[in-house]
Amino acid sequence: MQQVFSIPKSMKKDFKYTFCPGCDHGVAVRLVAELLDEMNLQEKTICSTSIGCSVFLYDFLDIDCIEAPHGRACASATGVKRANPNKFVFTYQGDGDFASIGLAESMHTALRGEKVSAICINNTTYGMTGGQMGPTTIMGQITTTSPTGRNIDYNGYPIKIAEHIALCDGTAYSARVALDTIPHINQAKQAIKKAFEVQEQGLGFGFVEILSSCPTNWHMSPVEAHKRVKEEMIPVFPLGVFKDVTQEAK
Amino acid sequence: MEKDEKVLIKGNYAIAQAAINAGCQCYFGYPMTPQTEIGEYLSAKMPELGRGFVCAESELAAINMVIGAVSTGIKAMTTSSSCAVALMQEALSYACGDEVPVVLVNVMRAGPGLGYIYPAQGDYNQSVYGGGNGDYKIIVLAPSTVQECIDLTYRSFYLAQKYRNPVILLADGLLGQMMEPASFGKNPYPDVDVSSWALTGAKGREGRAIYSCAPDEKKQNQHIYDLFKKFEVIAENETSYEEFEVEDADIILTAFGSMTRNIKAAMKVLRQKGIKAGCFRPVTLSPFPEKRISELAGLGKDFAVVEMNMGQMYKDVKYAVNGKSEVSLINRPVGEWLSVEEIVSAVEKEVKYAAGV
Repeated sequence: MQQVFSIPKSMKKDFKYTFCPGCDHGVAVRLVAELLDEMNLQEKTICSTSIGCSVFLYDFLDIDCIEAPHGRACASATGVKRANPNKFVFTYQGDGDFASIGLAESMHTALRGEKVSAICINNTTYGMTGGQMGPTTIMGQITTTSPTGRNIDYNGYPIKIAEHIALCDGTAYSARVALDTIPHINQAKQAIKKAFEVQEQGLGFGFVEILSSCPTNWHMSPVEAHKRVKEEMIPVFPLGVFKDVTQEAK
Repeated sequence: MEKDEKVLIKGNYAIAQAAINAGCQCYFGYPMTPQTEIGEYLSAKMPELGRGFVCAESELAAINMVIGAVSTGIKAMTTSSSCAVALMQEALSYACGDEVPVVLVNVMRAGPGLGYIYPAQGDYNQSVYGGGNGDYKIIVLAPSTVQECIDLTYRSFYLAQKYRNPVILLADGLLGQMMEPASFGKNPYPDVDVSSWALTGAKGREGRAIYSCAPDEKKQNQHIYDLFKKFEVIAENETSYEEFEVEDADIILTAFGSMTRNIKAAMKVLRQKGIKAGCFRPVTLSPFPEKRISELAGLGKDFAVVEMNMGQMYKDVKYAVNGKSEVSLINRPVGEWLSVEEIVSAVEKEVKYAAGV
């Protein structure tokens, strides 16, 4: 019988996800692991981990990891890469980590054109702490700290991360993908691959923002949550590639 | 500058060149008076040597870059001053919890807040007790001369890796800006084997993670007990201090960092005036030489702590003395260093130390 599905080599044999049922983090982590296998990167990878739902990444992936304080993953990744230009270095962060508390570190890492890759999970909320308004919470969205919905007067606007990162001259690749459908998952994998490749090619900062569901904090079933990604998130955060220096060169 | 020849050099440049000699592979920093020359010097030297240099976007980023770099087993450092070191406290707590060998040089200025660029010693507490969360201890070394800026920079890199613990080199604006003759010699410390923990990629072994977070009460407790056991070993092996003429002293002038220079001079003047004064100066502020202070207090010797702050080391001396003798404070918070004359006259006011009394 042909085996069509197995645990990637870059995942720990006995890993147990700490993610809630229906959360897209599990899919995103698996895509990363598949690519570490396929691109033969596991043995030269050092990951700078983050704080939030992604905090226990080192319990899932069988790779070297350094814990970075909340928001500082890109700074820590910069240190790892500058000390070890031949290693493969990536961060895996939530939207609050990457684009709120860590926006300065994230953007300056892109501006310096650090040869590292960053994955940012955008689920429009602070998941680990129980669903508060974050930098990507969309207008009108109800969270525990925007009980009547995000509004301009009190809360201002959400950030479009991938577009901002694409504006940085040091960015080699910036894209936004989603995980709500099988075709989108396949596109997401291609985008992460590209963000990894530009690092390996020494072209600059590689970035992928992944629209991701959070059924627990959205108070939805997994199916309803994916419907929300399609109907409410994608119109605000359009999918696409916002910068790709490998295409510009052609 | 690896020869034994003496050179006339500024404290900040001495620290920068000593870091290079010690094998510092990466420097990450942000400008801040009075230590900016360190970054300026290294911005030219590090690329020449093929080593790493980043003008970080903030001190927050700089120290986290150091954490990333040293987690891979190399030597790296950041340098800053007082109110910007305050920004690094979160990362220092992480670095202790993660047990990564961060080296941080703090060339102190006056506080609180922005304060000013006057010299001061107000970061004793920030360094020894830390501003980060949780139970942790940092190794703190305080140079008193430009020569010691060199010697203790070498020692900082060694101790950080030997014990997998952050080290703060606590200098001050006076030392940073002052020129003195000094020689670099050769870094006297051996290389430390980091292969059992350094992140190098999971080749031929399982993935390795360095983190401070254990979502398990027992593990987290054990981790903290282990950190403190490690610090007991550090205290046993690495506590260092200098003392002068304490044997027959009635009063021991006690200071750290560059104030040491003035208490040595004040001691001589007091001796000429018939007052039996001695000097005691911790080189390691953490671990603190409390055993030796306790011994001296047990012999009935009083202490006068002389410092440029509101009495931060004073209370550690008092704690070590534990009521066995008297401890007084001669201090000023910021600005012009307490002069030899001021120290002498403060001691003379306490008539009981005068000859024949």
